[in-house]
Amino acid sequence: MIVADRKPFDDIKAMLEGFERVLIVGCGECVSVCMVGGEKEVEILASQLRMAAGKEGKKIELGETTLERQCDREYLELLKDKIENYDVVVSMACGAGVQFLAEMYDHKIVLPATNTRFIGVTEGEGVWTERCRACSDCVLAETGGICPVTICAKGLLNGPCGGTNDGKCEVSKEKDCAWTLIYNRLNKLGRLDSIREIFPAKKYNVQTRPGRRIHEAFKEKE
Amino acid sequence: MNEFEPKVVAFCCQYCAYSAADLAGSMRLQYSPNVRIVKLMCTGKVDVIHLLKAFEGGADAVFVAG
Repeated sequence: MIVADRKPFDDIKAMLEGFERVLIVGCGECVSVCMVGGEKEVEILASQLRMAAGKEGKKIELGETTLERQCDREYLELLKDKIENYDVVVSMACGAGVQFLAEMYDHKIVLPATNTRFIGVTEGEGVWTERCRACSDCVLAETGGICPVTICAKGLLNGPCGGTNDGKCEVSKEKDCAWTLIYNRLNKLGRLDSIREIFPAKKYNVQTRPGRRIHEAFKEKE
Repeated sequence: MNEFEPKVVAFCCQYCAYSAADLAGSMRLQYSPNVRIVKLMCTGKVDVIHLLKAFEGGADAVFVAG
C-alpha cells in the first residue's frame, strides 16, 4: 500500500489562511490503513481546525467527507454537488488522490494534507516500511524476494558492496544490508546460484515518467 | 474579577473509576463540581476524537480514568 504522513498542523493551517469554507476529503484506502487520511483523521483535522479558528476568533465552515478512494473517478464524482459549497478542498489522500481530485475539479483549489512517503507494508502496529520503488523491472525472482533497489541504501543490483558490516549497512547501523539478507534468504532456499548472476545495468528506459499502463483488453479503445 | 474556574471532563470506566466516584457519592465525600463525568463501558473505547470533542465543547482539561 501507499504510506503517507500527515503534514504538520501548522503547515495545513497556514495553507488554509484566508479561507472560510473548507471541505476536508478523506480516502478510505491506503492512507486510512496507515492512520493518516481516513474518516477518523478527517474528524481529527476538522476538530483541530475548528479549535484553532475559535482560538483566533476566526470564522470557519468545515465540511467533512471520506470517499471509498480518491484514485477512481467514480468515487470522486460523489463530491460533485457538495464541493460547490466550499472555497477550498483539503485532500487527505496520497499524492495520486490529491492530483486526481484536483484534475476532476480543476475550478477548485485543492490542497494536500499529507506527505506521501512510499509503497510499503505494515510491519507491526503503527509501523510501516518501504518494500517497493516501482522500478518497472522487477528483480525479486533472482534476489530471494528481497528488493535490493529498495532495501539497499545504494540500490545496488550486484552486491554486497564494501560497506557491508556484520549484516548492517555502512550508512547506518540501524539499516540491514540488503545483500546480506538476500544471501541468507537464497542460502535458505538452496538457490545461492542466483547470487552469482551478474545483473546488467538497470533498464531505466522503462521508468519513464509519468508511468502509464493500459490493460490488453482496453488497448484497442485507445 | 472572577477567579478562573476550569471545566474538567472526566472519561471514567464504569468498573473502576466511575465506581469510585459513585462510592464517593455514597460516602458523602465532596469533589469539585468543576468535574463533569462521562461514564464509559470501558476506557479502552476512548479515542483521540472524544478528547478533542471535549476540548471543542469548552473543556479546559480532560482526563481519562480506568
